[in-house]
Amino acid sequence: MRILGGIGRKLGSAALSLAILITLTFVLVHVAPGSPVYQILGPKASPASIRELNHALGLDLPFWHQYFRWWLDLAHGQLGTSYSVERPVGSLIVSYELNTLALQIVSLVASLLIAFALGLAHGVFYDRTPGRIIGGVELALYAMPSFFSGTLLILLFSMQLGWFPAGGLENLRLAHQTVASNALHMALPCVTIVLLTVPVLSRYFAQSVHEELGRDYVRSAAARGASPSRILLHHVIRNALRPLVTVLGLSLPSIFAGGVVVETVFSYPGLGWLLWRSALAQDYPVLIGIVLVIGILTVLGNLLADIVNTLLDPRTGYA
Amino acid sequence: MTGVVLSLRQLGVELAGRDGPRLASNMAPVLEGLDLEVREGEMTALVGESGSGKTIAALAVMRLLPPGARITGQALFGGEDLLGLDERQMRARRGSVGMVFQNPLSALNPSMTIGRQVAEGHRLHTGASAQAARRHAVDLLGEVGIPDPARRLDEYPHQFSGGQRQRVMIAAALACNPKLLIADEPTTGLDPLVARQILDLLAKLQRDHRMGLLFITHDLSLVERHAQRLCVLYAGRAVEWGEAPAFFARPRHPYSHALLAAVPRLGQATLRGIAGTMPDPGHRPHGCRFAPRCPQRQDACTRAYPPPVGDGRTQAACLFPLGEIPVAAALPEAPAATTPLPGSALLQMQSVTIRYGSRAGLLGGSKAAVAPSLDDVSLELARGECLGIVGESGSGKSTLGRAILHMLRYEGRILLDGRALGDLSPGDRRRERRRVQVVFQDPRESLNPRLRIGAIIAEALQLGGQHDRDSLRRQTDALLERVGLNAALAGRLPNAISGGQAQRVAVARALAARPDIIVLDEPTSALDVSTQAMLLNLLRDLSRHEQLAYVMISHDIAAIAWLADRIAVLRAGRIVELATTDQLVNHPRDPYSASLVASAPRLGAATITVPGEA
Repeated sequence: MRILGGIGRKLGSAALSLAILITLTFVLVHVAPGSPVYQILGPKASPASIRELNHALGLDLPFWHQYFRWWLDLAHGQLGTSYSVERPVGSLIVSYELNTLALQIVSLVASLLIAFALGLAHGVFYDRTPGRIIGGVELALYAMPSFFSGTLLILLFSMQLGWFPAGGLENLRLAHQTVASNALHMALPCVTIVLLTVPVLSRYFAQSVHEELGRDYVRSAAARGASPSRILLHHVIRNALRPLVTVLGLSLPSIFAGGVVVETVFSYPGLGWLLWRSALAQDYPVLIGIVLVIGILTVLGNLLADIVNTLLDPRTGYA
Repeated sequence: MTGVVLSLRQLGVELAGRDGPRLASNMAPVLEGLDLEVREGEMTALVGESGSGKTIAALAVMRLLPPGARITGQALFGGEDLLGLDERQMRARRGSVGMVFQNPLSALNPSMTIGRQVAEGHRLHTGASAQAARRHAVDLLGEVGIPDPARRLDEYPHQFSGGQRQRVMIAAALACNPKLLIADEPTTGLDPLVARQILDLLAKLQRDHRMGLLFITHDLSLVERHAQRLCVLYAGRAVEWGEAPAFFARPRHPYSHALLAAVPRLGQATLRGIAGTMPDPGHRPHGCRFAPRCPQRQDACTRAYPPPVGDGRTQAACLFPLGEIPVAAALPEAPAATTPLPGSALLQMQSVTIRYGSRAGLLGGSKAAVAPSLDDVSLELARGECLGIVGESGSGKSTLGRAILHMLRYEGRILLDGRALGDLSPGDRRRERRRVQVVFQDPRESLNPRLRIGAIIAEALQLGGQHDRDSLRRQTDALLERVGLNAALAGRLPNAISGGQAQRVAVARALAARPDIIVLDEPTSALDVSTQAMLLNLLRDLSRHEQLAYVMISHDIAAIAWLADRIAVLRAGRIVELATTDQLVNHPRDPYSASLVASAPRLGAATITVPGEA
């Protein structure tokens, strides 16, 4: 019961975060340089046509009225129209977001599995030679930026060996292509993301496993005759996973936003790529839409991480 | 004749030093040549201060020492040397040797139900089904006195009180019918009443199951009632061992005497600490380890470790055992308590009530549901008086202390010299607040680890408006001297001095503000037995010389009774009894304070002699 109360409080604070976010993006729209009317009509527009469009877009309404309409539009899923490709921002974002999510989720699952195994080994052998070697590898990967590792992968696997395409998934609709083709196009970006994510997650997990192994309850379990493997499986892992879930929650923005760098290097048509393209084209409605969508998904993602953590640790629900 | 369950022969442990690689040269002996027997149905107490090696001995028997430890000697359990077993064989023995640790909250897995933790050992060693192990766990929890065990099986450790958690730990240790139970400081950190219950429970289980019990503690008075035999450790070596009744009747080793005299008991007038500190492993003196701190020391003591002397009942490793010299007078009884000086009250609390957690959240509960931590408390404190506050954890005694310090919001009135602080201007209020200072439980946490001792005290002086460098240094040195520390300590960092010295620094810092009142919040409970006594003596001397008033908060009623003029007994936020120390200790009116008083060690339970007193 009290756990439910805790989740209720978290829902409340998530709703508050969303309201603040939506208000901030509204402010962002109004401080963005260049009025939309100017962007649409171009520098040679007549004052009369500017006034007319201002009226049509509701920009001559009082501030509070516009704020209210901002909420109303959002409720209807209307985020405006892109200047550069002249499509509704909402549908534009959705189609790119799906591509990003496909790439990010595949990468995340792969990263988690690898990081779990690597981090567990690292944590168990923390101060000994195997642990130090794993730690060194993690640090080396962590220090490698994705534009570097991505380019390296392209050079090796696309240019030299020709196993994977270097990009060119021009058609936005991933679903219209064959599974095999999608997999081929996703492989290298996916590996690049995994190389970037694994060291972070695995170092966190290793640290956590190492700390938990030093706790008194581990000694109690050993005193009862539990074997080292049983101690790990039944006692340590569950407690050690908690910080990892928090880190995952914090890394959610990048999952939804995609990597601008990775998607650009591989010209992968995801949200990060769209963000970069829109920024170059000064396409403000799209930029603001992306900010809003990422923000909303991030708040919801963190809420999810909180709830998972509450279920993992019986104490947090009572805090 | 009862059978020997565990027999330690010349047990020794070397551990790698904290820093540096694990080299042979870096190994320091933490325990040497320990001989010990635990018999069926008997309690053997292993007694020593922190750093004596007592926990190391237990972990060596369980083979749970950190990797890299080197163990020598034998640990015979049922005729089999545990130290010679391989890891797999040892794991199988760990059910028949049960172990209960200090601090049950951290010793239990926070995210596993207690039912599964209690059943774990049983399932591992008998291969019982989950159902059978569950039933067994219910029986065990019932046996250790958890009410309604079947219902509580699926709860988590944080849902239990401290005493109940320790009962759960004991149940888990009993899961495989152990022949030997090792209890490592199982009552430390528990309230005295609860500690007494846990101890009685262990003694009962040991009789009912005919187990051998190895009870590890720093507190001799705790094991007096139950132990059949004991062994006193100092700096890694046994100094005295044998049958417990004979030991308490006639302790031989000067350290045993000192340890007995350092634990406050009700009705005791003098309390003696042991000057100096226990030497670290690797820096231990040749010869008797206690020699540098021993009042009986002679040249011969430093040449070689002394051979055992004594009879068939107790023996001590001492060249000049105290049993042989004329027995000094027993610790004198306390004189009639001095009545506090007449005069107006320095501090008055009038109907003070404090509620925590009353902030109503968006979806929070109602305000009235929260019971107040302090409920309508009124008391007075005279100039130079020491008022003791006792009560179990959660009774509100620390809250009371923080209210006096004006560290939290309260309902009611708190007057200092007849004036309420709330009525003063902010500047006056700050000045007045300096008249009430505080010393916290753990000096390691209350002293900034990055400031040198001198700077810590100087800061308190600077807050009083003094900025002249020379004068600050002179006063800092003088303050250190007043608390019995060498002024040379001013250049050290808090982690480079001992716990007892650090607590003296905390006292000096409080004195720097020239307070009228010092709130002492469990000032001795983080300290070792011998250092506790030194600090209590210092506090008593200070109050006599400086007209200083104390509010001393502690769960150790014997320590409070030693220092306080009057004692208030707190329960569930209310004062159930407020009386002079003499009255409370000898004629408590409230049944709860009577049970608190009964749980404290009392002078006369054991014969104690103090060397050099006569």
